[in-house]
Amino acid sequence: MTDRLESKHIARKVGGIRKLVLILLSACLGLTALLDIFVVEKIFSPLVYLYIALGTIAVLYGVPPLYASRRLIQYYWVRARRNRLAVAGLAFILFLILLALIGPFLTADPTAANFEEKNVPPQGFTIEESVYNPETQQFTTKSITGMRQHPLGTDNKGRDLLAMIISGARISLLVGLFATGIAVAMGTLIGTISAYLGGWVDNALMRFTDIMMTFPFFILLVLIVYIFGAKLFIIVLVIGLTGWTGTARLIRSETLSLRTREFVMASKALGASDSRIILAHLVPNVISLIIVIATLSIPGVILAEAALSFIGLGDPSVTSWGMVLRAGQQNLDTAWWVAVAPGIMLFLTVLAFNFMGDGLRDAFDPRSAV
Amino acid sequence: MPMKKSWLRDYIIKRLFYAVIIAFGILTITFVLVRVGPSSPADKYLANVAARGQDVSQVVAAIEARHGLDKPIYEQYINYVGNLARGDWGWSFSTSMPVTELIKTHWIYSFQLIVLSSVFAALLGILIGIYSAVRQYSKTDYIATFLSFIGISIPNFWLGVMLILLFSVQLGLFKTYYDTSIPLFSLANLKQLILPVITLGTGMLAGYTRYTRSAMLDNLRKEFVRTARAKGLPERTVIGKHVFRNALLPLITIIMFDLGSIVFGGAYLTEIIFGIPGLGRISFNAIFADDYAVVVTVTLISAFLILMINLITDITYTYLDPRIRYD
Repeated sequence: MTDRLESKHIARKVGGIRKLVLILLSACLGLTALLDIFVVEKIFSPLVYLYIALGTIAVLYGVPPLYASRRLIQYYWVRARRNRLAVAGLAFILFLILLALIGPFLTADPTAANFEEKNVPPQGFTIEESVYNPETQQFTTKSITGMRQHPLGTDNKGRDLLAMIISGARISLLVGLFATGIAVAMGTLIGTISAYLGGWVDNALMRFTDIMMTFPFFILLVLIVYIFGAKLFIIVLVIGLTGWTGTARLIRSETLSLRTREFVMASKALGASDSRIILAHLVPNVISLIIVIATLSIPGVILAEAALSFIGLGDPSVTSWGMVLRAGQQNLDTAWWVAVAPGIMLFLTVLAFNFMGDGLRDAFDPRSAV
Repeated sequence: MPMKKSWLRDYIIKRLFYAVIIAFGILTITFVLVRVGPSSPADKYLANVAARGQDVSQVVAAIEARHGLDKPIYEQYINYVGNLARGDWGWSFSTSMPVTELIKTHWIYSFQLIVLSSVFAALLGILIGIYSAVRQYSKTDYIATFLSFIGISIPNFWLGVMLILLFSVQLGLFKTYYDTSIPLFSLANLKQLILPVITLGTGMLAGYTRYTRSAMLDNLRKEFVRTARAKGLPERTVIGKHVFRNALLPLITIIMFDLGSIVFGGAYLTEIIFGIPGLGRISFNAIFADDYAVVVTVTLISAFLILMINLITDITYTYLDPRIRYD
């Protein structure tokens, strides 16, 4: 009982500050955006605005409820911890985040070409390569051994594979987390609104969801990125704005049973507005489902971005795994390692999120004996 | 029975009506996307025209008049829908033929890939799933479960590249590229489709194995299975008739849903990797040739196909399970 009182107290105290911070920050962002639009010199790229906006929302609306229900989280952690694969997944994801955050400062520039050291195999491997000698006008075989400076080798332009992989980790995580953030937020809103309001709103939203679901996700993605240009910002936004349909349906069916429950009735009887009921009563009650959906949709999003880059529709200004894989596929016969490394990273990342998602689902499910 | 017929007819009519609405939604979304997009179909000409030193503004006006871009937006929309309905899906600049012709010559390559992969994945997945469920917690079950987890997580386009690296580049067993000169209905064609089918099918296979296993396990614990065993039916009948038939229904939904969401995107990538000249490959080529009409048409066709598949799934359902009523 005291726990609930305390969490209520925290929620009230945070509510006021939260609104103030949100207003101040959006004012600052608005000002810089105006400057960015009307003054030639760029302060932030569009992607940075997205990061700041989503980061703020995540901190302001995510941390207080997490802090308030820290005992519940501890309980779930104890349950989730028993699933070893889920813990391994979590460990890999944390490692990846660390790699993405500090890795780029420790490695060489992933875009720096050096034709002196092209097609160097990973350390411990030696390959034979035929080289054209302009003086004797003959092909001679030269053996190249992996070297310490390039632990994973280099590609056909002499770019360091390790640096490219680390840069790719950053891109994949950014796209995965932010696009999923947008998609899950949209899906949650549409799902809860649809279920709570019902009637024609529900009908209209669900028909719209049907239409969106009818498009094959990846082909629609290709079309939109082709039309609007291959920029990371656009890719994140488009994946987010097209990937919410499954979430919306799941959240809707979950909310349908919640909306007739007593605490919602009581809240309505006390005069709470629709938006308050949705945000303060319905959404928090499906939060565990939201977390599971989010964790399990990140792999799909990361793969979608990688596939886009792989077919040549990635942002050319950044080095992503899909792009490295594309370069590797074109040189399979001379440098196999370029295609192998990014794929292994993609595979491990997807596996890690899948393991963690499954573990979380079991931990959140009170019926499952963990 | 006549009762069922009448509500089924109503249901089919209702579903067709919804399908028409969704079709219009699809058309509207693509229309808006193409119109709102920063590059218009005319832009591709203009670059050429400007390069040749001709008067750009005159050409712009001519192109806009030719494509009806000078008309008000609602008229453009009506024209767009009208043209599609009449079978005029636009002109492919890069291949100099109507898009419909292009589709007619290339759809079969996508079709064979998708059908073969789905059959491969469904048959093998269901068999492994059943075996896994019947021998739950056996060594085979553990291996199958583990492999299916890997199969689900492996990015299929990377799998394709790795298969080429191993079997084509290193071992030289297959060609790295799809040969269109080989007749469609021949063993050689089947052989060159092996790697693409594995590439596209592995993810599905893993998924179906998992779904079959869990659907079978759900039903294995039911009362009617105990009854069937108690009355002395052979185990084969119990598994095949009583458990599997009940597990089949959710499986069909998943297979059909996959056909829409995963297979089309997966086939797109698989065709690109192996150079199979199906719809995905021509759309991919069109992207780099800036051939607008082809990219849009491939998207539209896939969406319409999925719409049809969903419709058929729902209707088949009512026949497979007489208990189902949609009211």
